[in-house]
Parts: sequence; structure tokens; C-alpha cells
Amino acid sequence: MSLPNLFLADLPPEAALTPQLVQEACVAIKRNRANWLLHRSTQELVELLAYAAERWLQPEYGLRRLALSLAPDETGFGMATLARGLDTFFKQLTVENLNALLIQDLGDSRRLDEFCAPPGELRQGRLAHARGPELLVHFAAGNLPNSALFSLALGVLTKSAQFVKLSRSGSVIPRLWAHTLADLEPKLGSCLELATWAGGNDSLESMILSQAECVTIHGSNETIASLVPRIPAGCRLVPYGHRLSFGFIGADQLSTYQSQKTAARAATDVTAWNQLGCLSPHLFYVEERGVVTPEGWADQLAQALAERERSEPRGELPTDIAAELAGRRSLHELRGARHAATREEAVTVPRGAFFDGPQGATRVWASPESTAWTVVYEEDPRFRVSCLNRFVYVKPCRDLADALRQAEVVRGQVSTVGTAVSESRLTELAPLLARWGVSRICPLGRMQEPPPGWRHDGRPALADLVTWTDWETV
Amino acid sequence: MPADSLSSFALRLAEQLRHGGETFSEESTFTQTARELFAIQVERNSVLRSWCQARGVRPNPELSWRDIPAIPTNAFKEADVSCIPVPERTAEFHSSGTTTQSPSRHFHRPESLDLYAISVRAAFARRMGSAAGQRLLVSLTPPPAEAPHSSLVHMFQILGEQSRPGRTTYFGKATPSGWTIDHRRLEEFLRTLTGPILLAGTAFNYVNWLDTQPGPPIRLPTGSIILETGGYKGRSRELPRADLVDLLTKHLMVPAASILTEYGMSELSSQAYSDEAAATEAAPHLRFPPWVRTRVISPETGREVPAGQVGILQIFDLANVWSTLALQTADLARAQSGLFQLLGRASRSEPRGCSLLSLEIS
Repeated sequence: MSLPNLFLADLPPEAALTPQLVQEACVAIKRNRANWLLHRSTQELVELLAYAAERWLQPEYGLRRLALSLAPDETGFGMATLARGLDTFFKQLTVENLNALLIQDLGDSRRLDEFCAPPGELRQGRLAHARGPELLVHFAAGNLPNSALFSLALGVLTKSAQFVKLSRSGSVIPRLWAHTLADLEPKLGSCLELATWAGGNDSLESMILSQAECVTIHGSNETIASLVPRIPAGCRLVPYGHRLSFGFIGADQLSTYQSQKTAARAATDVTAWNQLGCLSPHLFYVEERGVVTPEGWADQLAQALAERERSEPRGELPTDIAAELAGRRSLHELRGARHAATREEAVTVPRGAFFDGPQGATRVWASPESTAWTVVYEEDPRFRVSCLNRFVYVKPCRDLADALRQAEVVRGQVSTVGTAVSESRLTELAPLLARWGVSRICPLGRMQEPPPGWRHDGRPALADLVTWTDWETV
Repeated sequence: MPADSLSSFALRLAEQLRHGGETFSEESTFTQTARELFAIQVERNSVLRSWCQARGVRPNPELSWRDIPAIPTNAFKEADVSCIPVPERTAEFHSSGTTTQSPSRHFHRPESLDLYAISVRAAFARRMGSAAGQRLLVSLTPPPAEAPHSSLVHMFQILGEQSRPGRTTYFGKATPSGWTIDHRRLEEFLRTLTGPILLAGTAFNYVNWLDTQPGPPIRLPTGSIILETGGYKGRSRELPRADLVDLLTKHLMVPAASILTEYGMSELSSQAYSDEAAATEAAPHLRFPPWVRTRVISPETGREVPAGQVGILQIFDLANVWSTLALQTADLARAQSGLFQLLGRASRSEPRGCSLLSLEIS
């Protein structure tokens, strides 16, 4: 199946982009937006998005099939991993969820169409009308496609012309999603532009930023820092930088019966998008007082990952990344061997000898003959950042407060904490997580499945894009 | 095992190396020697012993050198990978690297340093001929007193002492923020030379120097050799080797063939040198002397990859008598017919992610 050349990103890679080309594209999509998109009703757009998402859930849909057939070469994800990731995302993009998002962020789902207000504001004699940016520019992340897919949907809701700068490694899926929108409604397609270039191209980036009324940046803190000085005054910036996530398993979920289920849910979070997202867990803190010990739970997690590898293989990695995984794994194995020998053979570290590793036992479970998955249990409770690609740490903790003390080094950078604890305990623990600064709490097994209404990095994603006109009627 | 088994091994090895070490080109000789050393090291090095237990490998008469469990070089950053009892350690070499991480520490004693020196001289003589050491050494590094933990400076010192003891000239200075070079004094000195020299420095030394708008080109005396070593590690702009060679040949007016690349590390006791045809290659073909062998393994399976394929470099250095002879580096390499090319390091960056770099392992 070949795609029509609708977007700059559809051109062959050798086609050189110029600032002029980018500028012309911006003028065209702004004009088309003024002529068509601006006059659509929000409900029409909600239904269009939901219908497009339904198409992507159909196994025989051409662009979905194309996306899966291009995996793993173009996306780096195995076909089953990609299929699960796409299904999870598009299942959430329903009329109901999108309306819920509009009401949550804007108070009424018609705010982008006309002056209106929820009852509380009406009683005060107030109405308000929200307006989306004329041109919304997205700098998309390369790790996984969700944020680009969702950003495009948000921009459709705000009736904005949109220019998406895609990273080279992550361009395929967002491009196919834009093709779906253009296929269902060519006039909507004419309000979108997508392009790919290597980050750091000053002339192209300065040009696109000069045209934007609002820009979202998904990427490393370095990417954000490099773009910020070039954002003109008056252009709104919505940055999404470094975030990471972890899991917490309460002792009450560590009965012999429960703990395996918990491990399976944790494996779902580790395998989703190969752990590459900001919402993917780097480690799991496991309470010590359970029937199953943290080390025993790590063993169960390893079994669950081994099973998942059979149904949803991770796929191949570039040699340098595989080498990083292998190198880390052997270092942990060496630490484990060292600790075991010290304990079992009563080998004593000579006085004055140099030792600077983690304290306590280390145990490694690893996929045989591959780097497909790795579980490292460390008694040393200090937080550790994983090298991802299904490489995860398990550490013991006394309770959640203890885990948060250990995670102090990443405080302020944590997106999601996936929890497995009883409901009654969670009621007590959630405020603790909120005070500590976590921006999302969810059940284990759903870390990579935020609903559209999710406040991304603690901010209202849709509300952050719009500008209001308030009308005091009396 | 007698307490001096390593010393007696080292004495025998030194004798072979003084004769060029050619005998280890023989597979059976290398394997037999490696097996013997491995057996002693397992006895004396507790880190290696626990590693071998975990790997299920014991010294045995059937063992090939390829089967000896290689210790990851990262282990030198946190554990005592040494056969030398604590009170007998008289020197230690540290890896250069980022200051946020603890460096690798490779411990030495007088006997191991003696063997180290013999290995350095023998490897250099094999590559450049026995007369090569006659040249005056001019080093861009600080003198040994200022960099006591640098195996590189120690190696340059050995090469210098070979010809005219005490006459080696160092133009580098160790400062809290790293090594600097007195460029002006260096250039003045190079303009007054009468005989051939061995100019030695790291790649970043050269780039830093040549980036500071040096004076007019200098003609190094015929027969001079330029030794270039080490990676950049973010301390200067990174240059493809061909560009560095181009800069050097233009400024010092030497043929490209006289520029030699060296590869070594603080965890080793021997060095590899670029092959003769390496001058303009992006990643020069490197060769160790016969008492060192390499394997390139797949990060996925841990098994050796077919010749020409990229994988993780393992190094087996018989001169590493008092630590471990088998090492697994973090370098990616491709090997063919006894030569290997370095192709970067195992990715340190977070793969395609939006995660953090600040909390690297340990």
C-alpha cells in the first residue's frame, strides 16, 4: 500500500525542506483552517475523531495494517507490542471520553463553538467562549507515538491549523494517523502539515516557531531548552519534558494468591511500548511485610515477563542499546555473585579493600540467549533509573513513605505511580503521593493507559491550548 | 599453590615478552598460558572467583582462553578486582571519565609495574621496530608527578625512558578542571628540534591545541612519530580521525603514515596500535600484540559473533597478571583477521526515551 503525498513528511527523505517551504505550508494550512475548520461544530469534530479511532481498531483497516507491517523495522516495536499499544490508545478515543475531556477542561463541550457556561457561571451571569490557536505547532517525541497522536486530536478539537515536527525515529504512526484524518475529511487534512527533520535545524525551527501561536514540545529537557530561546514573545509554550514512573506494591497484595496477579499486571506495564514511555515503570517498590517477599515477587515478575515475551516479543534492538543492557546486566550479575559468595562462603572483604557498590543482596533474572527482559532485585533501596527496553528493578521498602524517601532524587520528575494496594489503604496513601508531587496515580497494569482526560504532567492538556473571551452579561 | 605463583608466572612471561612475545601467536601456547594464569587468579582474586562460580566455570585442563569468564570493566569501579593484598598495593591507575562517577581502579605493585613496562616496550617495538624507542618523547600530558593515577602518562613515561631517561618533555599541566597544554611553549620547543621525536598525546589534546589557532606550520624532523590515543570524552570537539590526521599532517608537516593510534585502558597492561594502513580510516584497524587476544560477542547471546559483525569487545591480556586477564569492555567493535575496529560505546544515553541520564548506574 502506498500513501499519497499529502504532507511534507510523505516526500522522499532526500527532498530538502527549506524555510520558505515551511512558511508556505503554514500560510496554506492557516488559510484552510479559516475557510473550513473554524466553522465546524465541536461535536462534528468529536465524532470525526472517534470514527477515525474506530477505524484504527479494525484489524483489516488498511493504514493500521500498514503500520503493523512496518513494525518492527520502522517503529522498533514488535508487531504484538505495537498492536496492543495502538489498541489501548484508540479504545480510549471515544465520543464519550472526548466530551468528558471538553467538559472537564472547559466546563461545557460547546465552549469552542459559542458563548456558554456551566450552571455555576450562568448563575453569576457569566458566559465564556474558548478559542484555539490559529496555528498550533507540535514538536513530537521519538520514543512512542501516543503523544503525537493525542496532540493532533487536541488540535482538531481546538480547530487549529497544526504543524507537527516529527522525530525521524517516530514519524510513521503519527503520519498514518494524519492520513486517516485526511482520508475521512480531506478538508481537515488540508489544515494539517507534518514534516520530519533532524532536530537542531535552526533555520527550519526558527521559521516554524515564528509562525506559531502556540507550541507543544514533547522531548528531552535539552530539546526544550534549545527551542525556548527561539519562541517569539506572544507564542504560548506547552512543554512536556523528562518524566519517569514507578510502581508500588502493598503487602496486602502479596498473598500467595494475589501476588502472581500483581506480577502479571506489572509485566503489562513493563512490556507496554517496551517500557519506553514516560509512564513506564523504572522500578517497583515492594512492601516487606507480605506473605511473598519482595525477592519472591521479583521472581514472579520474571516468570510473568518470560511468559509475555512468548506472546508479545520485545523485538530486536540496535547493537549499542543491546550492549548497554548486556553490560548493565553483567554488572548486576557480578554484584549478585559477589554478595552471594560473601554470604555463603564467608569470604571476608579484606580490611581497607575498596568497595563502592550497592549494599545488600542482588539477584538477576534474565531472558536466556537474549536481552529481551531483565529483572534485577536489589536489597539496596535507593532509587535506580532503568535503561528500559524491558529492564526493570525491584526493591524492598517498609512502606510507601519509605519508598518516597528513597525516590527523593527523582522528586518533581515523577509522572505516574502505579499502585497495587487495597482500596481502603489507597485512600490513605493517595494524599501522601499527591503531596509528594506525583502527577498521576493509577492501578498497576494500566500505567500506559491514561484516559484522554488525563492531566498530562499535572496540567490540563486541552485547557492549556485555548484562550478565553469572558462575557459578563449582567 | 605457592604464594609467589603469580611472581614466577610474571617472570616467565617477561622473559617471553623481552623476545617479542611471538610465541603467543601459537593458539595452543596462548591457551595453555592463559589457562595457567586463570587458575592462579581464581585462587587469589575473590571477585573473579565469585564471578566464575556464578558463570559455572572452573579452571580445568580443557578450558580454552575463550571460555574464561570476562569481568566487566565497570566492576573495577566498585570492587577490588585484584590479586594484590591491600598492604602491598603501591600504585593504582584510574580510568578517566566523568567526575560524577567513581573511576575504575586497577591496583599495582612493583612487580606488576615492571611487567607493565616490559609489555609497553615490547608492544611498541613490535609495531614501530626496536629503534623506534630512540626518539625523544614529547608528551602533551602532564608529567607523572602531576598525574600519578594515569596509566596513559605512565605508559608515555616508559616509552620516554627507553631512549633518553630524564629527557622526556611534558607540556601538559593537571588542573582541577582537567589537563591543559602550554601551547606556546610547545610550539616554540617543536620549532627548535634537530632530531626525530615521538610526540604523544590524547586525541583531545591534539584537537584542543590545533583549535587554538596555532602559529605557522612546523616541520617535525623526518622520522618523527605522532602517537594519538584515547577518546574525546567530551573534552574537545569530536573529530573524525581522517580530519584529525589532516590537521596534524598540515600543521606538523609529517606524512599520514607516521600518525599512530593507540588503544588501551587503565584496566589493562598492554596496548593495541593502529595497523600500518590506518592513516585515513574513520575507525582505524587496531592490533594487539600476540600476548593479548580479543573476542567480539553478541550482546544478545553472549556468544562470539561471526568475523566482521559488530558486538561487545572482550580482551584477554596475559600481562594483566595481578588482576584478571579476561575483561569485557563497554566498547563496540568489529573484528577480522586479528584486527579490530572500535565503533563507539555501548549506548549510555537513554534509548529513544524521555527519561533521565542523571542517575546512571551506581
